[in-house]
Amino acid sequence: MRNMKCETVREWVPDYVSGRLARLDDTSVRSHLKACDECRAEVELARLIFESRVDVPDGLANRVRDAVRYDRTSVSRPWWGITAAAVAALALGIGFSSDRPEQSESVIPGYAYELDDEDLWLSDDGLIAGAPALDALSDEALLQFLDELDVGGAGGSA
Amino acid sequence: MRDDEGSGEVLPDEELVERGRAGDDAALSELVERHHAAAYRVAFSMLQEDDAAQDVVQDAFIKAFRALVGFRGEASFRTWILRIAGNEARGALRRRGRRRETALEDAGPVRSQQKPPDIEAVDAQEAGRARKMMETLPEKQKLSVALRIEEGLSFKEIGEIIGSSEGAARVNYFHGIRRLRELLQ
Repeated sequence: MRNMKCETVREWVPDYVSGRLARLDDTSVRSHLKACDECRAEVELARLIFESRVDVPDGLANRVRDAVRYDRTSVSRPWWGITAAAVAALALGIGFSSDRPEQSESVIPGYAYELDDEDLWLSDDGLIAGAPALDALSDEALLQFLDELDVGGAGGSA
Repeated sequence: MRDDEGSGEVLPDEELVERGRAGDDAALSELVERHHAAAYRVAFSMLQEDDAAQDVVQDAFIKAFRALVGFRGEASFRTWILRIAGNEARGALRRRGRRRETALEDAGPVRSQQKPPDIEAVDAQEAGRARKMMETLPEKQKLSVALRIEEGLSFKEIGEIIGSSEGAARVNYFHGIRRLRELLQ
């Protein structure tokens, strides 16, 4: 029985190996795998990856909690109070002149956590086997690229 | 963390974030409980070093909670904290002064980095090999594969974490899987 499409099964493989699939879907995938060597190989690979994931060190959660608690109560850096002050300042428009946006960061040191996309990932991470940066591709081009990878582009995200 | 009404309902992250903003330590503690493991795996996949990964997780939560009042909820807290962890790990790599080599030929058998004991104890040789092959993938492919398989994230969520579109995250995942299949054959 192989009435499910391979591309659908491959979308579901991660959820199948981790036991996150609904029972009905799980049965459908199981049926498909009996007759499809390629999808079965992909399941085995995903299972290897899932089962070899690193264990989280004992005590990490407590270590983080302690650090957070210390940071919150630190006399030298009362960020919780600073945050409240920042909200008040924002409400009053204090120190946030629109023509001097750089001032806002100096008013609340260490307050905002800004992610710098340009700096976060090196440009070569967007390159795949000589293809242009994926983020620059249209949806159609991405679908075509997926077809070239022989996995199809149909199906929604998990 | 369950609500205070005694209904036994598990509070969603959004509610915990709201309570955390109001200064509820227990809510912040629960957010740590729910997401520190995934944050650690993200950090470890990038750094391949236990101590450094733990530092990253700690710093990520501290920075996230400091900025909680500015968290707009456009993404889930989970994707937000994982993205911060990824960013912190990148910073740690930069400070370390080197980038991990991603080419297979450079991923030789001799590695000085400390590894969690479970990797050494993985009974299945193939699983250990798959993990080593994972380390050779470019970062976005590696993270897309890890976040999809290990954490069960959608491609949309993965895109938010790695700073890509949903489609690009999907391509990174499938390309990473294809490379792993080739390497393991």
